[in-house]
Amino acid sequence: MKDTDTGGLTAYLLEDQARFYRLAYSYLGSREDTLDAVQTAVCRALEKQRELKNEDAMRTWFYRILVNVCTDQLRRRKRVVCVPPEELDEGRYDDPSPDDSLSKQVDELPLEIRTVIRLRFYEELSLQEIAGVTGWNLNTVKTRLYGGLKKLRMSMEESQ
Amino acid sequence: MTESWKTARDEYNAAEIPAELDGRVRAGIAEGRRRRNRRMALRRTVSGLAACLVLLFGGLNLFPTFASAAADVPVLGGLFRVMTVRGYRSENEDRTLTVSEPAVSGGGAFEKRINEEIQERVDAETAKGEKTVKEYKDAFLSTGGTEAEWAAHDNRVSVTYEVKSETDSVVSFVVRAQTSTSVGYESDAYYNLDVKNDRELTLKDLLGDDWVALCNRSVKAQMAASKDPGVFFTADQGGFTTVDADTGFYINKAGNPVVVFPAYAVAIGSEGPVEFEIVK
Repeated sequence: MKDTDTGGLTAYLLEDQARFYRLAYSYLGSREDTLDAVQTAVCRALEKQRELKNEDAMRTWFYRILVNVCTDQLRRRKRVVCVPPEELDEGRYDDPSPDDSLSKQVDELPLEIRTVIRLRFYEELSLQEIAGVTGWNLNTVKTRLYGGLKKLRMSMEESQ
Repeated sequence: MTESWKTARDEYNAAEIPAELDGRVRAGIAEGRRRRNRRMALRRTVSGLAACLVLLFGGLNLFPTFASAAADVPVLGGLFRVMTVRGYRSENEDRTLTVSEPAVSGGGAFEKRINEEIQERVDAETAKGEKTVKEYKDAFLSTGGTEAEWAAHDNRVSVTYEVKSETDSVVSFVVRAQTSTSVGYESDAYYNLDVKNDRELTLKDLLGDDWVALCNRSVKAQMAASKDPGVFFTADQGGFTTVDADTGFYINKAGNPVVVFPAYAVAIGSEGPVEFEIVK
């Protein structure tokens, strides 16, 4: 059987690695975990390359893998980290404090919302692409984006 | 975009990129290719085997002369010492399970002991793989994953074998357990059997009393002569120091032992398991 590796995917993965690292780092916040996540996602992408029918969709397709690897890792972490109740930080459930920098406020948003915000404003994906990455439908993506902006006390005009 | 978003994005982009990122991406590419090729190879083997069986049994049924001739063909008569006694594939919403359990033919106590050991291993590895998937699923669902998201996972558990060489008196094969969920796991067990004398062969049997020094010299020389010696850990990094009685090996078609180190044992993970043929 012919090797289906066209080189387009590997070239893309090598080229854009810094972006992958940043995106994964924004989820995991640890250097080692991020390196592991990027490596795992790259490995999975090569393994499943047949599923990528259209090279134009490569970026969305790979981001989806990467975001899944990161959220899986976060879920795993939740399972093992035991925080005694008295050490729970009440503050994190509140709306972000307006004094914090915007990037910090984004970090404190719920997972789904910050995913949308980061992909939209840091990675500059279209809402349609974000729907492709996350597997949510377009309306859900919109709701989460607008919900997030509201939490950040940011008007739509400001975000354009 | 406003100033505050620009600042936020600059902060995001300021995350320092570790120097080893490039190496890790390349390692991921190599590992992904390896896994993909292995899956394709497995598919090829399975369909090839199926075609052979159809031909063989079809032929045996249709032509009595063919059947009697088959008994005289060495491969089908005398040499077929390792065969599948239990093979199945099962797929449910959680995983795809592939099992092909080998057994050594011949009714003696030695074969019986080996076959029981293989069966135990296959059962244990199958259960272990199922447990890994189950634990992963529980963790996934209990921490907010939905059933629909879970269904998108492609988890695979397989316990299979591969015959490395087979002669009148010696068979060499490996029983390989693999589980791939969000992370991969592989465990190999090697069987090198002298079926004439009913015993398991050791490296010492094959290479003589000097086997440790012989192997170590050969492994080190092959590492140094390889295309990219940098992939091997140094002794300080926990790399290769010496072979011992637990070192896995099989016997290749040339009759030489090939020692095998699991992934990460002596080389970076992207190399996967690494093998060295020891020529006496």
